[in-house]
Amino acid sequence: MQDNLEILEDLRALAADGPQAAPDRVGRQLLGEFRARRRRQRARLWTSMSGAAAIAAGIVLLLWVRELPKPAAPVPAEIEAEAEASFYPLPQAEALPEVENAMVVRVQLPVSSLRSMGFPMDEERTDEVQAELLLGQDGLARGVRLVQ
Amino acid sequence: MLSKLSIISVAGLVASSLFAQGPGRHFGGPGGGDFAMVRAEFGISNKVVPGAPYTAQAVTQFTQTLPGGDHIQRTTTASVARDSQGRTRMDRSIATVGAFSATAGGAARAIVIHDPVAGVSYALDPASKTGSSMQIHARPAGSEEGRMRRSTSTNTAIKTEDLGTQVIQGISAQGKRVTRVISPGQEGNEKEIDIVTETWYSPDLQVVIQSKTSDPRFGETTYQLNGLSRAEPDPALFTVPAGYAMKERASFRAPAAAQ
Repeated sequence: MQDNLEILEDLRALAADGPQAAPDRVGRQLLGEFRARRRRQRARLWTSMSGAAAIAAGIVLLLWVRELPKPAAPVPAEIEAEAEASFYPLPQAEALPEVENAMVVRVQLPVSSLRSMGFPMDEERTDEVQAELLLGQDGLARGVRLVQ
Repeated sequence: MLSKLSIISVAGLVASSLFAQGPGRHFGGPGGGDFAMVRAEFGISNKVVPGAPYTAQAVTQFTQTLPGGDHIQRTTTASVARDSQGRTRMDRSIATVGAFSATAGGAARAIVIHDPVAGVSYALDPASKTGSSMQIHARPAGSEEGRMRRSTSTNTAIKTEDLGTQVIQGISAQGKRVTRVISPGQEGNEKEIDIVTETWYSPDLQVVIQSKTSDPRFGETTYQLNGLSRAEPDPALFTVPAGYAMKERASFRAPAAAQ
């Protein structure tokens, strides 16, 4: 009890001396901590805003890309290239315009007709064979190959 | 070897009318033909052209003058179409192929639909309502890989002339004349042979609108797209009509060797 009274008297004396300021060192620490806290808050704010902007940009890009026409020309061409390259080019087609669109038809014909087209066949053969003709956009034969 | 074959081709053409016959089919002679159509197999497109639709009638006329002064004349037509996506359709009469004519009774018409968007090519026989489909892959623009090599005579001089630009059926077309010169003796010929090809190409449509080839060895060929329309074709043209029995074609066979 006596101790409490002494403490109370000391506090009253201290209050009577006027307002007390914190030491400079404590003030600088508090100010530094306060500024650091502000920086962290700003960083969090910018991170949030950037994320939101990225999400919004992604949505816009997605919508835009979906509206674009699909690319009409898928790539490599092993099959068609193989097909066209497998035909024997006919001398009659030497001077014809380049093929743009072609149609391949299967025909049956005497060997003599094949020879007439310029396809090298044994002169002794007189039978019939099945062959495929590569017809250009003009319907004229550009190439021929035998059907096995 | 090709040159020899070229020289005998005219004789062979005439001689072919004398050759006959397979079981149940008559080649050559009155009412006969040079080949019998079996079926359309598939289509090939050397480039995909989106954004330039058109429809037209393709008319090809082949004329050959025989040594006696007589003429062999064949005309073949096709309905052609391309839509904005680059899908193409060719509906062709196969009654003749150049100087060669089909036997009566065979398939006289074939349809090929080339759909690079779906990656499939259809070949249809309207007479039997049958057809086949095959997966395709369009070749990159400008790619020459795998293209069929051309039969080119050795030592053939080639001269190219620019014919300028003219409007054909309302379409601007660029003209080019290519002259291939076969020197005397090169194919056993006494005089120089000039093979002349004129083409009129539309850069907008990316197709040849008109062409003419004069080859003294074989004859003269003219090709023209008539009734050109740049309106979008009916989408139904690029699908298989109902009622067709379709089968899938797996792959191409290896080329057969000459025998």
